[in-house]
Amino acid sequence: MTDLELELRDLATHLDVPPAPTLLGVVRARLVRRRRRRRGLVFAVAIGFAALAVAFAVPGSRASLLRFFHLRGATVTLVDRLPPLESRGSLGQPIPFDGAPFRLLLPSGHRPEQVYAGDGGYWLRYPGLLLFELESGPGTEIIKKAALGTTNVEYVDVDGEPGIWIGGRHAVYLPGGKPRAAGHTLIWKHGLLTVRLEAAVGLEQALAIARSVR
Amino acid sequence: MQTPGEEALVERACRGDPAAFEELVLAYQSLAFRTAFVLAGDAADAEEAAQDGFVKAHRALGRFRLGEPFRPWLLAIVANEARNRRRSRGRRAALALRAVAEPAASGEDPEEAVLGSERRERLLTAVEGLRDDDRDVLACRYFLELSEEETAAALGIARGTVKSRTHRALSRLQEELR
Repeated sequence: MTDLELELRDLATHLDVPPAPTLLGVVRARLVRRRRRRRGLVFAVAIGFAALAVAFAVPGSRASLLRFFHLRGATVTLVDRLPPLESRGSLGQPIPFDGAPFRLLLPSGHRPEQVYAGDGGYWLRYPGLLLFELESGPGTEIIKKAALGTTNVEYVDVDGEPGIWIGGRHAVYLPGGKPRAAGHTLIWKHGLLTVRLEAAVGLEQALAIARSVR
Repeated sequence: MQTPGEEALVERACRGDPAAFEELVLAYQSLAFRTAFVLAGDAADAEEAAQDGFVKAHRALGRFRLGEPFRPWLLAIVANEARNRRRSRGRRAALALRAVAEPAASGEDPEEAVLGSERRERLLTAVEGLRDDDRDVLACRYFLELSEEETAAALGIARGTVKSRTHRALSRLQEELR
C-alpha cells in the first residue's frame, strides 16, 4: 500500500460520519405494512372476481362487463364496446416542479418539461411520455378505465409492487372528467402513490421506465 | 467471506422467515448506513437509502442465488439507492472531518496535531474535488474498506474496472496534491 493509500485509510478514521440509526424497527414496520397491503390486494382481487360472478349472473350486464382488474386507486374493466371518447384536452394548471404536496416520482430522476395539477393528481409531461401521480388511500378508486375485451390487459409486477398493463386503446375516467381516449398504459403502486404511465412503448419498455422512477 | 451461520440465516430469510431477515438487518444496518452516507454525503438521505435498500432487498430475496455472498448483494442495492438520491438532488454533499480534539486532551503534540489536521483537510478537499466515479471508488476502497468484489457490486461495475479506476483516481489525487 502506498503512502497515499495509507493516508486515505487514516482519513477515513477522521471523517465526521453520524452514528448509524437503528433501522430494524422502521424496516420491520414497512415490511409488515407491505404484507398487509399484499393481503389487501389479494382480497380486492377476490372481491373483483366476486363482482364479476355477480355481473355474469345478471342477464343485462353479461354483454358489457367481461373482466375486471383492480389495484388500489385504479380499476380496469373490460367491456365489449367503448363509450364515445374525447381526445385529451388540457392536463390542468401548470405548476412549479416542487409545487406538489408530495415528492414527485421521476423516471431515472429526470425532471419533466412541465408539471400540471389536474384530475385530482399531478401530470408530468415528458417528450412522448405522460406520468400521472396521485395519492390514494385504501378503498379509493380514482382512475377508472374501460378497455375492449380484445385489448391486452394483465397484472404485472413492478419491483415487487402490483401493476396493471393495458396494451391498447382504451377509455380513461379521471375524477370529475368525461371519458378520454388513451393509449398503452401502465398503472402501478409506488409506496403511497398510484402512478399511471402513458407512452407509445411496449410492456417491457414501460416496465423499465416504471422501475427507474424514484 | 460468508460464515456458515450467515449462509443459513440468508437461506432462512429466502424461505420467508421474517426473524432471519431481521437478524440480517441488525447485522448490516451500520454498514448499510455508513455506505449510503459516504456515497450520498447526507445523513437523512443515507438513512432513507439504507431503509429502502433493506426493504428492496427483502422484496428481491426470491432472486438471490443461495451460496453467493450476501454482503456485496445487499451493498449493491443500498449503494444504488444512495446514488439515486444523490443524482435526484443534483449534487453531492461533501464529507467533512470531525472536529479536532484539543491536543492536550488527545495527548498529541500540538504542532503535529495542527499539521495532521491541515493535511487531512487538504486530502479530503482533493478527494471531494474528483469526478464522481473516481471519488466513489476511492470512498469504497479506502473509507469503507470494501474489497474489490464488494466495491464492484456497490458501484455496479466490473472488478477489473475497480482496479483500473482506483489506479486512475489515485493518480489524479496525487496530481491534485502536488
